[in-house]
Amino acid sequence: MADYEAEAGRITIKLVYYGPAQSGKTTNLMRLHDLLQPEMKGEMMTLETHNDRTLFFDLLPLGITAPSGLLIKFKLFTVPGQVQHDSTRKAVLSRADGVVFVADSQRAQSVNNGAAFENLAENAARVGLDFERLPLVVQFNKRDLPGVLAEEEILARWQGARWPVVFSTALIGCGVVETLRALLEQVYDAIDGQMQLSAVHGLTRPAFVDAAAGLAP
Amino acid sequence: MSPDTVPAAGFDRELGLDELLRSVDRARLADALVALLGTGLRLSDVRGRELLARGEVHGGVRLPVRGEMEPIGYLECDATEAQAAAAVVLLQWILRANARYLMASELHLQAVHEDYAELQRRHAALQESEARYRELALHLEQRVAEQVQTIEATQRRLYQSEKLASVGQLAAGVAHEINNPIGFIASNLNTAQGYLQRLGHWAEQLPAAPDLAAVQQAWAAADLGFVLQDFSDLIDESRSGAARVARIVADLKGFSRVDQGGEEAADINAIIRQVCNVAEGQIRGRLAPVFVLGEVPPLRCNAAQLGQVILNLLLNAADAVTPPGVVTFETAVAQGQLRLRVHDNGGGIPPTVLPRIFDPFFTTKEVGRGTGLGLTVSNDIVRAHGGRIEVDSRPGAGTTFTVWLPLR
Repeated sequence: MADYEAEAGRITIKLVYYGPAQSGKTTNLMRLHDLLQPEMKGEMMTLETHNDRTLFFDLLPLGITAPSGLLIKFKLFTVPGQVQHDSTRKAVLSRADGVVFVADSQRAQSVNNGAAFENLAENAARVGLDFERLPLVVQFNKRDLPGVLAEEEILARWQGARWPVVFSTALIGCGVVETLRALLEQVYDAIDGQMQLSAVHGLTRPAFVDAAAGLAP
Repeated sequence: MSPDTVPAAGFDRELGLDELLRSVDRARLADALVALLGTGLRLSDVRGRELLARGEVHGGVRLPVRGEMEPIGYLECDATEAQAAAAVVLLQWILRANARYLMASELHLQAVHEDYAELQRRHAALQESEARYRELALHLEQRVAEQVQTIEATQRRLYQSEKLASVGQLAAGVAHEINNPIGFIASNLNTAQGYLQRLGHWAEQLPAAPDLAAVQQAWAAADLGFVLQDFSDLIDESRSGAARVARIVADLKGFSRVDQGGEEAADINAIIRQVCNVAEGQIRGRLAPVFVLGEVPPLRCNAAQLGQVILNLLLNAADAVTPPGVVTFETAVAQGQLRLRVHDNGGGIPPTVLPRIFDPFFTTKEVGRGTGLGLTVSNDIVRAHGGRIEVDSRPGAGTTFTVWLPLR
């Protein structure tokens, strides 16, 4: 649940980009850093090894201010996708307010996607998140590559699930903002009740989403 | 599900200026900043706590120092705005490098603790399952022994019932066999009694007879010449009948010693004949035994048990043939073993049935006719004697059972 610090007048919302290794989680954050122009935007912190694989996490901080003066801070994290970093993944996932599951659209990656999604559900349970209520967006990335699953096929597969599916090519920034907006809408609904965003702080859902995921002019 | 171990604050908590300066040599940092700014300075966090101070500050410039985004502290000095801004940029680089280091190391620590806890959990689970298996192994031998005992007891009961079934079948045949001679012996004795009365009646007339001619006349009138001849025939017939009964009883005794059967040197040819005699009533009219018995040495065996094997093969042959059938018993010594062949000229065993004939409770006979244990028991008996049973059967060509018994 979002972290409210009354003394600092600040809410911190943690959003985690999860998914199989090399599906484009870090690329999502890098493009968001380029494209978004919210009120506040920190520098992106990356911890990569020499071969560009995320070892611990990446972090992109964003911030907006509600009409009430409340600072709403978003911390966008990525997890390391490689199987052996499961404990790290679990620690990064803990206390998340929303998750983007970045899947690799290539047909050959279907099994890895499935395993990573199961891993997400398991780890969510292990860190005490209610997976059934957790705001979640499924992003099918790398639409520009040959040998990807057709959109109809993917939609048919995820038809029964309650999560929105977004198609993207993160490398050129396509679909990454839409993904974040789809997640922010769910996050707003999940925390509005407790944080009184609209009632006390005068922040409606569209304003919340636009302020956080506003595009550079 | 309850969370495993989620610390109250993790690697992703907000880092204050104080914490970010913890690993920095503050005196040397202050020296460097003084040299850069050329004035005194004051660095404080957002709550106004002073973290670094050198020299006098007269309230010239006050710039925010930002962590991730928002100010986490303020730098005050009397240098120019540009100098102060440059100092803040340098300071923020140091802070960011420290933040990276702190977050990475704390996350690493958290992951290591997690891995360690997971390893300990698995270790405990392994120890538990090892203990379970050890316990199981401990009791396994005992439980196997108990099971073996149960199975052996059941088997003994089954074999006993098979023996009783074949003995019962036999008893019916034997009763019939004995009934026949007993019947004509009793009838002969009746006739003999009549003959005795006629002789006695004639003998009573002897004292009062006037002469030999009258005696002879009375003899002829009572037809006592025939009586004497027939009396002798009756006695002969009855003696042979009694001998037949005695022989059947002797054979039956030989065969029924199943329980007390120890090992003895036995003549297999004699056992074959004995069994055929005992079962004669059951096979008469259906099957005629033919004996091709060779010269074989005495065999150390349980004669009663081998008798049961031969009886089983004989009765199976009787059921297999279309009357009148022939069963041939052939004994010989071959390959250093005693070989007994039992061949019938019946319909043969279908190939689908052949692989199952030694299976317990497998029977092709109608309900109540066969126990389905005859060949199973026979096979076990022969194996207990160190031998084996082979079957050769072709539909239409009859069946040959070959029993091999080692000569020890």
